[in-house]
Amino acid sequence: MEDDYYSIESILSENQKIQCTFKVDIPDMGHLDGGKERDIKAMSKFISSLVHTVLLLNPLVFEFFESASDYADFTIPPPFSARVRNALNAEARSVRLSALVGQGGLWYGFGRMIMRLLNDAPAEEMSNVLAKTFRARLPEVIDQAQHFASIHASAAASGSGAHGGGDTAAMAFREGLDGTERECGCLGLSSPDTLRLMWLEIVFALAQESARRTKKWYETSDRGRR
Amino acid sequence: MALPPSLRANITPAELELIASEQLVEIIPLVAMERTAFISGAYGPLRPPTKCKIPIWMATNLKLKKKCHIVPPDWLNVEFLQERLARETSEPDFSELPFRFSEVAKVLLDVAPDDIPNPDKVRSLLKDIREARQAKSREGLAKLDHSELRLPNLCAMEINEIRPFFVRAMSVLTQLVREPRQG
Repeated sequence: MEDDYYSIESILSENQKIQCTFKVDIPDMGHLDGGKERDIKAMSKFISSLVHTVLLLNPLVFEFFESASDYADFTIPPPFSARVRNALNAEARSVRLSALVGQGGLWYGFGRMIMRLLNDAPAEEMSNVLAKTFRARLPEVIDQAQHFASIHASAAASGSGAHGGGDTAAMAFREGLDGTERECGCLGLSSPDTLRLMWLEIVFALAQESARRTKKWYETSDRGRR
Repeated sequence: MALPPSLRANITPAELELIASEQLVEIIPLVAMERTAFISGAYGPLRPPTKCKIPIWMATNLKLKKKCHIVPPDWLNVEFLQERLARETSEPDFSELPFRFSEVAKVLLDVAPDDIPNPDKVRSLLKDIREARQAKSREGLAKLDHSELRLPNLCAMEINEIRPFFVRAMSVLTQLVREPRQG
């Protein structure tokens, strides 16, 4: 997490809660759990923010040389549960990633944080899930971006503001894009929205803009200008 | 950065066209001109009807004043492009074409369609080639890796089109792939 200290994406993706279970009694730390009791009892569950959990687990990781933390355990949060993984395995493109992590959520960013909390084998697995999903969804993202770029380019060329709708399946996929995915498809659409466009969203934006520009170049003639 | 966001990711097609216009093209001049020095070099002398090599920007200028005929490069004709299109659709790799073929072809088709035999056919062949190649780079997306990417024979305009999102997608993958612990 050192490499993206200043990254807004990274900060936003930390804005998630995960469930932890304490393994030992911790006196005088009851306020972590909402403040009703003075001490934290062993095996008590509490929902902590990701930042908190990192603090709880990380120092231990360093101290005890990657042995499992002795104070607390956390469960894999629902966006990465077995059910979601199975769905992704079946067809990565039909999962609505944005719905999994809530408003403005960053599924990939969250997954990366979780990945860094885990040890070797589970982390490897998590990394595989994330990378595989991204790779499986990328062609579809780019297709959509280029499709929209061409619609916009031809609408601009004909001077009418007709924005084709596209079919409903494609629409559903687009709404389900993770922030990351959308960016890859709309950089350059300099709107206030770009601030919260992330990861695949950026991919979407980028692809759309560059496809639009290239298509425009191919289709216009500069004869008059010369 | 001082550049507007739309120009940060890559250069524009128009800029690529400008760069491609520095390339030399053969012309048959219709006016005589002494050897003349320009910033990019000295070109000429023009002695009709001897062929002469000058940059594309100068050729377009002369052409629009009807002071020369442009001799299209040897790859800008129906037979060559037909053969390349057949190769493009039958082989998995990108076929070999001049690095800036789309820019040069566009400029020449734009200003000198009367110097190129069968310009409409050439146009549609170029479009088919572009689409075939686009389909290939799309397939390449699925195989995208976080560490390296190899697309031999990709041309300037195509690289420019896919650069921003390929780069971005690769950087995302770099973050998602777990780096092995040093140990």
